Amino acid sequence: MLEIKNLKVSVEGKEILKGLNLKVNKGEVHAIMGPNGAGKSTLASVIAGKEDYEVTGGSILFNGKDILELSPDERAKEGVFLAFQYPIEIPGVTTINFLKTAVNEIRAYRGEEPMEAKEFLTMLKEKQKLVQIDTNLTGRSVNEGFSGGEKKRNEIFQMAMLKPQLAVLDETDSGLDIDALRIVAEGVNRLRSKENAFLVITHYQRLLEYIVPDFVHVLFDGRIVKSGKKELALELEEKGYDWIKKEFSEIPA
Amino acid sequence: MSVVAEKKKEVAAKWLEEFELTTPNRLGAANGEVKTKQEKAIKEFSEIGVPDKKLEDFKYTNVRLYLNDEFTVKGASTRLRQSDVRDFFFEGHVSIVTVNGRFVKELSSMKNLPKEVTVKNLFTALKENKQTTAADINSREDKHNPMIMMNTALSFDGLFIEVPAGYVCNETIHIVNISSGNVKALYNPRNVIKVGEGASLTVIESYQSVDLLEKIFTNAVTEITVGKDATLNNYILQNDDALANQSNVHQVTVGNAGKFNSVTVTVNGGMVRNDLNIAINGENCEIHMHGLFVVKDGHHIDNHTLVEHNMPNCFSNELYKGIIGDGGTGVFNGKIYVHQDAQKTNAYQSNKNILLGDKATINTKPQLEIYADDVKCSHGTTTGRIDEDALFYLQTRGLNENLARKVLLKAFTGEISDTINDDAFRRYIEEIIQGHIA
Repeated sequence: MLEIKNLKVSVEGKEILKGLNLKVNKGEVHAIMGPNGAGKSTLASVIAGKEDYEVTGGSILFNGKDILELSPDERAKEGVFLAFQYPIEIPGVTTINFLKTAVNEIRAYRGEEPMEAKEFLTMLKEKQKLVQIDTNLTGRSVNEGFSGGEKKRNEIFQMAMLKPQLAVLDETDSGLDIDALRIVAEGVNRLRSKENAFLVITHYQRLLEYIVPDFVHVLFDGRIVKSGKKELALELEEKGYDWIKKEFSEIPA
Repeated sequence: MSVVAEKKKEVAAKWLEEFELTTPNRLGAANGEVKTKQEKAIKEFSEIGVPDKKLEDFKYTNVRLYLNDEFTVKGASTRLRQSDVRDFFFEGHVSIVTVNGRFVKELSSMKNLPKEVTVKNLFTALKENKQTTAADINSREDKHNPMIMMNTALSFDGLFIEVPAGYVCNETIHIVNISSGNVKALYNPRNVIKVGEGASLTVIESYQSVDLLEKIFTNAVTEITVGKDATLNNYILQNDDALANQSNVHQVTVGNAGKFNSVTVTVNGGMVRNDLNIAINGENCEIHMHGLFVVKDGHHIDNHTLVEHNMPNCFSNELYKGIIGDGGTGVFNGKIYVHQDAQKTNAYQSNKNILLGDKATINTKPQLEIYADDVKCSHGTTTGRIDEDALFYLQTRGLNENLARKVLLKAFTGEISDTINDDAFRRYIEEIIQGHIA
């Protein structure tokens, strides 16, 4: 589904990703772990199509299509979703209204008719229940005045509504207490299927107790330096990132 | 005489001449006291002339660029039919049509006008000298605004609207102002609106052009009195052709526990200068002022507002928003004076602008002067571009850049249009705004 080959990305002339390779198949959950500054959020932003990043080499294929050529909205319409580390507040735009627009834009891209109001409402209620988000919140301006936990829950709610094939969760666990973490993880687990895939980016192993990954990758200095099964996350938790740093800092760039 | 004074005299000479020639047509012909006021006004005006940048209040709007002695007060004669203007009417509203500042009854639709409410020519009303008198002309100190002096001196006519004490008018009165004709003309409509004690009224003023073939300058002055316990909603839409330039002054006086809600939306017109001057002369008043200006290439929109808190225990809230496109210029100047007696005043003022390009200009000046010690006041302004992070966020959800931009601008403008209580007019405004930010 997702195939990243030798991806090199710079921000303001500084190389952040230095030849990253990653392959994600349908039905898989991959965790990307790594110390601060390794390039985790850059990877998430580049997949979603943020402009500030300059791709200097490599490719990202999504279902065989080179998505680096696509605008962020086209990527979304192809089935890519990014849950933001810091969700944006948008005063004056209610979550429900903009989701209605988003759902129908995505349907139009696929040559489908706009969703009937009734059908939309039914789906809305179902997904609200799924991620246990208050109807009050979805009727309000997007993320405006939301607590950290509410913002993250709203991201998962939007994901549930848009039904992406690939969801990238960028440090969704940051700033969450244990209860909020459990609810968010539960939402993700219910959305897991044979047809979709998740890329879970996190600094800590904690989230992976709730969202159990099929594969864990360690991102360090712009490259994936280690890959393994879920046990790798536990090893990282135990030993910290220092042993990774020691082992791989010596590699010439 | 200095060169500057000489120049001013020159500019004013044209209007002095037209003043002499139009004596039988002007408001003064209806009422002797008004005649005296017109004579005083032309004298004052000829000392100053059409304002330019040297006057602090016109620092960013040089009216002389838009009004020179090629214009004449004699104006155009037009032959419009109701079918030319009916598109601007709203179902159920009382539609009062003015053409180049003059009330045209035949074009109006007044079947829903309650018998309690008066709508007539100001000329006629001043002649009758009953419901309105010369006292309603320059009822307030005009702060030496030359545009008011000019209007006072040269006005032929305008509208007189009155709602008597105790009458709650549920019909919205829509003044449909049409600019039309092929004469390079200066129009000086003068309007008086009186809302009596305990009465209430909603007045919409819309400005648009029909068959306008030559540049015009409309210099309008409206004097409004909101009585004790009275309410006036005053909604303005300026959507004229680029040939139509306009200075529009509203002088508002609010009495005890009076409420005044103003919404001014400007989306078109060559140069538009608005002055909204509010004197709070009673206690427990509530004032809301909202504005939205969408400025496009080559256009210039200036909003000046002044709130005078003269009495204690009053509330005023102001929010003006601008969207300025490449090559457009916006001006905001808001003043709040909290005078010494106005204890327990709550006064808020905010101006927020979005610049859509590198060649968009905004000159903004929020001012707050406080002479009382027990008040809550704030003022501020922000100017920036469309929030790029919000734009990206919406795009990652499947909205293309253009649509995402529209959603954000609609949200920005919604805060203003949402304050309009008249559903039909609010929907129309939203549509017009959408058309202008697309």
